[in-house]
Amino acid sequence: MTRRTRIAKSNGKSIGKMKIRLDPVLDIKAAAPLYALLSSRRGGDLAIDASAVERIGGQCLQVLLAARARWEADQRRFLIEGFSPDVIATLRLMGIEPAAFDHRRETDA
Amino acid sequence: MDPMAAIRETFFQECEEQLSELEGGLMRMETGETDQETVNAVFRAVHSIKGGAGAFGLEDLVRFAHVFETTLDQVRAGRLDPSASTMRLMLRASDALADLVRCAREGTMPDEAQTTSLAAALKALTNDGMAEGIGAEDDDDGLGDLNFLPLAVAVEQETMPDAGWVITFRPLAALYANANEAALLLREVGMLGPVSVTVDTSSLPDFGDLDPEGAYLTWTIMLQTDCDEAAIRAAFEFVEDDCDLVISRAADRPAEAGLVQVRPDEDAAGVVADVRVLDGDEAAPASSFADIPSDADVLAIIRKAQESVSAPHDDRPVAVGGGAVAPVAAQSRPEARGGTDGPASRSDSGAAVGATIRVDLDRVDRLIDLVGELVINEAMLSQRVMEAGLARASGVAAALDELEHLTREIQDSVMAIRAQPVRSVFQRMPRLVREVAAMTGKQVRLLTDGEGTEVDKTVIERIADPLTHMIRNAIDHGLEPTEARVAAGKPEEGVVKLTALHRSGRIVIEVADDGAGIDRERVKAKAIEKGLIAPDAQLNDEETDNLIFLPGFSTASTVSDISGRGVGMDVVRRSVQSLGGRISIASRPGAGSTFTLSLPLTLAVLDGMVVSVAGHTLIVPLSAIIETLQPQAATVHTLGMDARVVAMRGRYIPLVDVSVALGYRDAPLDADKSVALLVEGEGGVRAVLIVDAIQGQRQVVIKSLEANYRAVPGIAAATVMGDGRVALILDVDAIVSVTRTERLRGDGLRAEPTLSQAG
Repeated sequence: MTRRTRIAKSNGKSIGKMKIRLDPVLDIKAAAPLYALLSSRRGGDLAIDASAVERIGGQCLQVLLAARARWEADQRRFLIEGFSPDVIATLRLMGIEPAAFDHRRETDA
Repeated sequence: MDPMAAIRETFFQECEEQLSELEGGLMRMETGETDQETVNAVFRAVHSIKGGAGAFGLEDLVRFAHVFETTLDQVRAGRLDPSASTMRLMLRASDALADLVRCAREGTMPDEAQTTSLAAALKALTNDGMAEGIGAEDDDDGLGDLNFLPLAVAVEQETMPDAGWVITFRPLAALYANANEAALLLREVGMLGPVSVTVDTSSLPDFGDLDPEGAYLTWTIMLQTDCDEAAIRAAFEFVEDDCDLVISRAADRPAEAGLVQVRPDEDAAGVVADVRVLDGDEAAPASSFADIPSDADVLAIIRKAQESVSAPHDDRPVAVGGGAVAPVAAQSRPEARGGTDGPASRSDSGAAVGATIRVDLDRVDRLIDLVGELVINEAMLSQRVMEAGLARASGVAAALDELEHLTREIQDSVMAIRAQPVRSVFQRMPRLVREVAAMTGKQVRLLTDGEGTEVDKTVIERIADPLTHMIRNAIDHGLEPTEARVAAGKPEEGVVKLTALHRSGRIVIEVADDGAGIDRERVKAKAIEKGLIAPDAQLNDEETDNLIFLPGFSTASTVSDISGRGVGMDVVRRSVQSLGGRISIASRPGAGSTFTLSLPLTLAVLDGMVVSVAGHTLIVPLSAIIETLQPQAATVHTLGMDARVVAMRGRYIPLVDVSVALGYRDAPLDADKSVALLVEGEGGVRAVLIVDAIQGQRQVVIKSLEANYRAVPGIAAATVMGDGRVALILDVDAIVSVTRTERLRGDGLRAEPTLSQAG
């Protein structure tokens, strides 16, 4: 099956300034592309714009949680911001506080 | 068939069922049945369609279904009053949804203006007037009122009933691969009561080792509910093989601090409402979220389709009496799917779902054909045995009796496979009524009764057109305009009633209206004007009413100004007759008309009287025969040149010599030297049919003469007799109508081609 490849857009040039914008649908089809995209950004700070996200499924959540842990372990900045109230509700439904994806205090400190 | 195409086709078949359920449910809601079960059934119908559509990337369908579903969810949550105007809008939305499904199936473009308009109207209901276009970028803003709201009062944990459950839910990768989604399952659980959810990420590997399509998270759900375990398991019904699920009582587990708690409302009802808020929050983003929500339904669709696809797709005959027959006959009786079960019942009646299978119709048709052959062969064997002069008490005769009994049983069982409630046809009619009512500017209420009445699928398929025509006529021509109704002291809203019932081994369908009835004077005047009857013709009410069935009487341009009926009724009658049925009219001036269809339950077999006519063997349908008699010469009277009648119990019944009517003979037999059958045709019109001899009664397998030869006037079909010869089945209505047409128009069947070629 053809996978959706347009998972995120990058609008920056250097890693430090680059901000990834997540696509609206983060379902199973998006999990592998998302993983590939994040993998390509390992080693640098990462800011992710989640304002376009309309829905998030369990597998993309796993990818983001694992990435968050990896970035934290790498002492790099990992920030996801802009979740809509609806997505926040979904995350809470899945037992996740959205603040968990905000590592500015930890990494910027 | 391409597997994907098969799956897609299965989805559309499912859609048809869901749309029927949807319309039926909405109709019930319109009449005030707004109980939770009905509303849930309606909701799930739209939800299922949306889910399947999402799986197939049918974006237009998904978007509209989502808006529709959201509105229904508001009703379900008690936030939107299902008022008459709301229900009217929802019924229109149901029509639009059906259109979108049809367009998706046919690959055509939907009426975007209509769906946009309806979507906006639906949104206006839920958004307090904030209407938006369906395709708007911020489409989901319309769901903003489903967001979390700050709630002032929280229910203390201690005050919660001691009815909690702890659910540990660990999806396997297959769960996601099968298009299910953990979030949605959590949502399903949340619909049972307030939930607190924690996620265990301890199994999550390092990012570098992560399989993005693996499954590593485990959720623990604290659920407060009075529901039993079965209800909770039902939420996981479609994924039970794709997850680890442990459900236990929470009686001795204290509420855990730090959990994400869904905030309850002020009171018990509010607690439920709050879950719906959660539900809405999750669903809210979902004009494109839509392909996830009904994962369970999608899975069900795909599983079903996979079953049918993976089964050997051989159109070759299945062996009668072999293993292939039994499972089909045993498992797919349609009534198992009937009753009031709607989509909502699927989740809590898994056993019922498992009791049915979807079978390629070609296979069933082939099976029916084969059973038909079996019946014929049994008849031939029976005849051979009889010819051999074996005693009835002999072992062979006894075994033959047993075979006959068994054959009949098999035939009945096979026929039952194809039996379906007429509901599927009836449920198409509300939309028709709405459309015709809108076109004519009349207010119409459709009442239906006997939707569960079962009839063979072939009959169901073919009665839809005549019924559609009749209902359209009932509204367009039967019901008076509103002003006229008011002036006549009637309610503004006209009533069209559609009824089905079994009667004497046939299905009887009535279309009744409370309109003005047939304007007989005007019908008669029109018939004279069209040259269909003589100006001085003396017709009784029944004969006058039946004029509307005459070809040539009724074209739109000629009768549009007649406040009776007429448009296409000749077509209707032909359709009904081609089904082996009859149509009759009962009309009362000022009080309305009732059209009655009497149809065979199946088009496959027929109980008939075997008769001899001029050396030919004919079958007269038993259902048309009232009695057999031997006319006395004194009771036969000649009218005019050659018309004859038989005096019977104070009435004169037209006498028809079948051999002459069919062209076998030129000169009629002497009635007193023949055998006569008193038969009743459509509208209760009686005639005495003269035949040479009666051979006996027999059930025969109907073979289409039209398909195998050509249509022959006076002949309904053909069959194969026990001796292997073809016998023709008489079209009693056509024969009986000879008398009427002779009297009305002076011609009869004799002018038609004879059967000499077909004999």
